Amino acid sequence: MLSIKNLHARVEEKEILKGFSLEVKPGEVHAIMGPNGSGKSTLASVLAGREDYEVTEGEIWFEGKNLIEMAPEDRAREGIFLAFQYPVEIPGVSITNFLKTAISEQREYRGLPPMEPKDFLQLMKEKKALVEIDTNLTNRSVNEGFSGGEKKRNEIFQMAMLDPKLAILDETDSGLDIDALRIVATGVTRLKRPDNACIVITHYQRLLDYIVPDFVHVLYDGRIVKSGTKELALELEEKGYDWIKKEVAAV
Amino acid sequence: MSEVISGIPLTERLLADYALRREALHSDNPMVQAWRDKAAEAFRKNGFPARKDEEYRYIPFDKFLRDLSHPLSGPEKKHPLNTSALIDPEAPLIVLRNGYFSPSDSRIEGLEKGLHIQSLQEAISSKNTTALAHLSGISDVESDPLLSLNSALFQDGVFIHIAKGAQLSKAIQIFQHFEADEPTLIQPRVLVVAEENSEANLIHLADNDQSTAAFLNCAIEVCVLKSARITLSQVFNQPGLSATQHTEAQVHRDAVFSHYSFSLQGKLLRNTLNVVLGESHCEAHLYGFYHPSKDQLFDSHTLVDHRMPHCQSNELYKGVVSDNGTAVFNGKVYVRQDAQKTNAYQSNKNILMSEEATVNTKPQLEIYADDVKCSHGSSTGVIDPEQLFYLRSRGITTQKAKSLLLQAYAGEILEQVPTEHLRLALTDILHARFSI
Repeated sequence: MLSIKNLHARVEEKEILKGFSLEVKPGEVHAIMGPNGSGKSTLASVLAGREDYEVTEGEIWFEGKNLIEMAPEDRAREGIFLAFQYPVEIPGVSITNFLKTAISEQREYRGLPPMEPKDFLQLMKEKKALVEIDTNLTNRSVNEGFSGGEKKRNEIFQMAMLDPKLAILDETDSGLDIDALRIVATGVTRLKRPDNACIVITHYQRLLDYIVPDFVHVLYDGRIVKSGTKELALELEEKGYDWIKKEVAAV
Repeated sequence: MSEVISGIPLTERLLADYALRREALHSDNPMVQAWRDKAAEAFRKNGFPARKDEEYRYIPFDKFLRDLSHPLSGPEKKHPLNTSALIDPEAPLIVLRNGYFSPSDSRIEGLEKGLHIQSLQEAISSKNTTALAHLSGISDVESDPLLSLNSALFQDGVFIHIAKGAQLSKAIQIFQHFEADEPTLIQPRVLVVAEENSEANLIHLADNDQSTAAFLNCAIEVCVLKSARITLSQVFNQPGLSATQHTEAQVHRDAVFSHYSFSLQGKLLRNTLNVVLGESHCEAHLYGFYHPSKDQLFDSHTLVDHRMPHCQSNELYKGVVSDNGTAVFNGKVYVRQDAQKTNAYQSNKNILMSEEATVNTKPQLEIYADDVKCSHGSSTGVIDPEQLFYLRSRGITTQKAKSLLLQAYAGEILEQVPTEHLRLALTDILHARFSI
């Protein structure tokens, strides 16, 4: 589904990703962990197509299409979804209007007819229940005045509504209390299917108690330095990242 | 329509017109005569504003006034009245054709109790005591050259009287219709007197798809008497139109005046809005939205004059400037020495859509009282790239995302518009405009 080969990327003049490679197949959950400054958020930004990040080398293929050439909106329409670490507030744009527009634009791109209003409302109802989000929240402007937890829940709600093939969760656990974490993680788990995939970017292991990964990768200094199964995450939780840094230095 | 007399400066031609029509304009009323003579004399002295005039520094009048003719009588042609989506078909309608009150085009039968509508010239000649009492009493005709000109030479317009305690449920709509294929100076005047405890929504519109060569120099005066609540919404939405509009509101004790200004389409649109909070415990709310695009110049000058204590004013003007358009915002707030316990807020925000777009914004607070709460702020920027990226990351095109963000931006002003029909119609217009 997603194939990243020897990716080098920089922001302004600073090279952040230095030969990152990853293969994601349908049905898989990959966790990418790593210390601060290792390039986790840069990876999310590059995949979503943020324009201030420049790919200087390497390839990104999604379902056989070259992602690097694609505008952010087209990546979304192809089925990529980024749950933002810091979702932006958009006063005056209601969540309902926003999602209606996003869904109709995505359907048009895929050659599908516009969704009937009653089907849209039904979909809203279903997905709201899935992420335990309140109508009071969805009637408001996008993220305006939301708490940290509400913002993250709204990201997963959007993910549920847009039904992407590949979801990238960028530090979705940061700033969440334990109840919000459970709701968000349960929502993600319920959305899992054999034909979609998920990349979970996180600093801590605790999210992975709920979203159980098939693979855990350690990102350090712009590339993956260690891969393993979910046990690797527990080991990192226990021992921290220093031993990884030492291992890398020793090579 | 009078012929264009080339070679003679417009100012002289206008003063000659005044001399010619002086008798007719005065209606045998010495008070009116003295007042109009004073205005004409002020215009003779000052002429049209020059570029060095601080209040008009961004408007090249010589360019806009070139080849202008000044008709001495009402329009001969009878183009059918254009329908405008902004007009509420259920509410009273006053049509001014080239500035002349046109009863046959208007819809003023069966008005709500307490509402009186009459041609302004007729109100003066028939010696309507309320009209005459307020005609010279609201604004200072020597304070502004364009107001002086209008005061001397306005041909007609409308007088609106809202009786004591009248609470009008339907808006009063004034529609400007232009019959001007050649550059023509059109000078109507609107006088509104809202008596004690009355309530009404007024709407003033120039809205037409057809381009016009009209130059509208319009004066609108509103006297808001004790405990009255009056709103005035004004929309300019006609290509080719040049307009200089002077709106003056005199607000009395415990009264509330709210104003909503939309400058959407036109060549030159200058809105001068003066609100005088002349007694204690009164309020003013001022909202504006402007969107100049290619070769357009939209200029808003507002003044809120706090003269007495315990008054509040709140002002929010927002603009979007496209192409090589120019916007000017100048917002004065005076808090005079007697105006203790004043609350005055002002904010101006602008979004530039192109590198050639220009905004000149100048908030001016002058405070002479010491126990007041006042603030002002202004910002000019581009569409927030973070918001744009967020929308695009959900599959929305850049174009559509910008349109959503601009609608939301304008929405903050639109949602304030007190009359539903106008609010929805304006929302549609802006929606279509931002979707291009």
